Amino acid sequence: MSEVALLQIIGLCVVGTGILILLFIKGMFLRVIGFVAMVLGSFSLIALGVPQVASLPPAIEKFDLAKVKSPDDLAAIGQKIFFSKGQCALCHSIGPSESARCPDLNGIGAKLAPEFIYESLTQPQAYIYLDFRHASQPEEYPARMPHINKDPIGLTKPEIYSVIAFLQKMSGADITITVEDVMESQEEHDEAVEVAFMTNADSLDTGAAENDVDP
Amino acid sequence: MKSADQIQQSSVTRFLEKMPTIVKCVSFLSVLLLPVIALAAGADTKPMSVEYRDVPWIGSRNLIWIVAQQHLLLAGFVLGVPIFAWVCEIVGWKTGEKRYDNLAKEFTKLLTSAYATTALFGGILLFLLIGLYPKLMAYLSEMFFPSFMIYCLLFLAETAVLYMYWYGWDYMQGNKKAFHLFLGFLLNLFALGIMAIPNSWATFQASPVVVADGDAWVRAWTAMQNPTWMPVNIHRLIANVVLGGFIVGAYAGIRYLLAVSQEEREHYDWMGYVGNFIGVFGMLPLPFAGYWLMREVYQYNQQMGITLMGGFLAWLFILQAMLIGVLFLGANYYFWMGIAHRIPGSEKQYKKPIMAMLVILLLCLGVWMTPHTLVASLAEAQKMGGTHHPLLGVFGVMSAKMTVANIMILVTFMSFIMYWRAGKQETAGWAKAAKVMMNVLLAIAGIAVIVLGVWGYFVPAIIRINYFSVAQVLIVGFIMVTFTPLTWLLLKSAKTTTEMVWGKMPIRAGYSLVLNAVMVILLMSLMGYARSSSRVHWHIYGVMRDTSEYAFSPALGYAAAFMSLNTFVYCLLVSFIFWVATLGDKAKAQQAKAEMSDVPAGAAPTMAGGAPSSRENIESGILENHK
Repeated sequence: MSEVALLQIIGLCVVGTGILILLFIKGMFLRVIGFVAMVLGSFSLIALGVPQVASLPPAIEKFDLAKVKSPDDLAAIGQKIFFSKGQCALCHSIGPSESARCPDLNGIGAKLAPEFIYESLTQPQAYIYLDFRHASQPEEYPARMPHINKDPIGLTKPEIYSVIAFLQKMSGADITITVEDVMESQEEHDEAVEVAFMTNADSLDTGAAENDVDP
Repeated sequence: MKSADQIQQSSVTRFLEKMPTIVKCVSFLSVLLLPVIALAAGADTKPMSVEYRDVPWIGSRNLIWIVAQQHLLLAGFVLGVPIFAWVCEIVGWKTGEKRYDNLAKEFTKLLTSAYATTALFGGILLFLLIGLYPKLMAYLSEMFFPSFMIYCLLFLAETAVLYMYWYGWDYMQGNKKAFHLFLGFLLNLFALGIMAIPNSWATFQASPVVVADGDAWVRAWTAMQNPTWMPVNIHRLIANVVLGGFIVGAYAGIRYLLAVSQEEREHYDWMGYVGNFIGVFGMLPLPFAGYWLMREVYQYNQQMGITLMGGFLAWLFILQAMLIGVLFLGANYYFWMGIAHRIPGSEKQYKKPIMAMLVILLLCLGVWMTPHTLVASLAEAQKMGGTHHPLLGVFGVMSAKMTVANIMILVTFMSFIMYWRAGKQETAGWAKAAKVMMNVLLAIAGIAVIVLGVWGYFVPAIIRINYFSVAQVLIVGFIMVTFTPLTWLLLKSAKTTTEMVWGKMPIRAGYSLVLNAVMVILLMSLMGYARSSSRVHWHIYGVMRDTSEYAFSPALGYAAAFMSLNTFVYCLLVSFIFWVATLGDKAKAQQAKAEMSDVPAGAAPTMAGGAPSSRENIESGILENHK
């Protein structure tokens, strides 16, 4: 028996019980309960009668840099990061938008050097352009740019490179970020993680050793 | 001889026994908050090894659903009631009519009894969230920790003020009344904060903003100011009044059905009327607040808006239309019954307008409930010439729905005006001109709303949303704002042709009050599901993905069954709370009856048309007798 059929039977039972209470029970409070049961059962039955569509989550995508063969692959990964983990689209739009709380990034990849974009992402307060387009009066935006490589977003260097590749591609510019750059940054990242892990492990060992010492 | 430990233990036990329930709950809540503080403090340094925990059989998500829903509904009542209890008290103070003061006190009694249960469910919810969703709670604690502290302080302040407000009611009469009213103001002020702060946590989950570096306070404040925070605050504030009003109405309806004496019937008939009036009063601006919220959702993220209105939740809005429609019909039906049974002779006079209003409401409901797309087979779609039915497809779009929503509001408002005017004869010289002007304005407003609605089909959506829909709302708002004082002025000098008779309503009036309350509870549950499901598979939209096995949003039928269960549990819970709260009254009533038997004949006042005041008259009669 399907879940819907089961719920429909339960709904019918609830409505039936409500009707029976109203027909045969004299106690006023119980009659009110029967009335409420009838209303709620009817509501459930109507809701079970409309198209039943559940929203299933999409499969979790992992960014496997080992599979990157071309700059376009890199840009494709960058696009996914832009709209998900990077949270860029929470504030920025690509193209004019009334609801965007920060500058429109349309064409930015062609206007700015990748080094500058990298710095803007990781040190957003280094140089502040109130309006990077310089087309009108400087404009204040309601949201401040966070350090994209720190918590809570915490993009890794290869991920930031991927985003820059995406910005370049969607601006119609050549993708100057190479697969080698990304691989290199991935190795740097892995080494950094390993060092951090070792340091952490050392400190844990030291802590454990300290704890072993009797006072 | 007792040891020092025993003495200390017994004094602690005595202290705990003496401690009122609400204070116990607050203390319990404060203790519950301690793990949150620890969690927030350790969030940076300790890795989160457990992301989710499950509960066997029922599932963690379902358990949270039930507890959160109960807490939210109780909280809605607890935060909504002080608003109109306070207004009622002001009315009593200004007019000198004691019955309003008594009614405000009765509202507050219900509030006081529900307050502890609300706090208890809040505590359970927090416990469960920390235990079942530790990763999410760690993130939210990291983001909002300073607001937790403010929330605790507000909760303490609210509890203290509620105590003073409730227990000081009889003491703070006469020249101390102004201070009591000030306490009522503080109660509402703190309640507003208690509502707004958790709203920011929930709305951040739906519409997060990027939080830049800064100290904890700056970060928390930035996160709180997310795009849907303010619309949700306004929407919930109004909805709480509606919920509170209709629940008080249902309480009065049940008490009316259970009443054994005429005096009780009169009192609860009047209380039911006031509850229904408060509910309707709040319900009129509610769709506008909902419209603003949806507009903000669309502006924030169009995809989220589409998920709600055009995606898998689209049919939810048909159910919403059905519930709102039944609510409008129920509220109007109660008004119409009031005209027929409380104002003898008015039934014939208002029969035709009532019939016209019923037809308009049903037609509007039909349009509001028309889906945009139909589930049709290929053959049916070919016959229709597409997925949209040539006629019904026209009614499925927002332009039609906004129009009928406005008309239904207008009709309901006119029902109230009609009820207000029934049984009275205007005597002012300008009355005729005023009535003609009101009729003309009403006709122009109705036509303008319809014209704007039809015109909306022929302009770009942005024009309709930004200008036409807003104009429709303003037109209806204008009618309300002008008609209310005008009617008040008209009736100020009017003579009463038929005295209002309380306690004569048929049994179905009590049931219609219960029905209205059930509809509001279901509506709140339904829209809570919509708000939560609009985040789809995200705990925090676009920021933290739900990776648990419950990351899916259930289909509408399953969700509706759950909402019904939640509504039923809530109704039973509230009934139990109110039953407990009124146990003392029964004892007092029995005592009063016993004392009444000693009252000499003629000392008890006769019951006039405004019979609800008879209770205090009886009480004052007893007092006089004692003197």
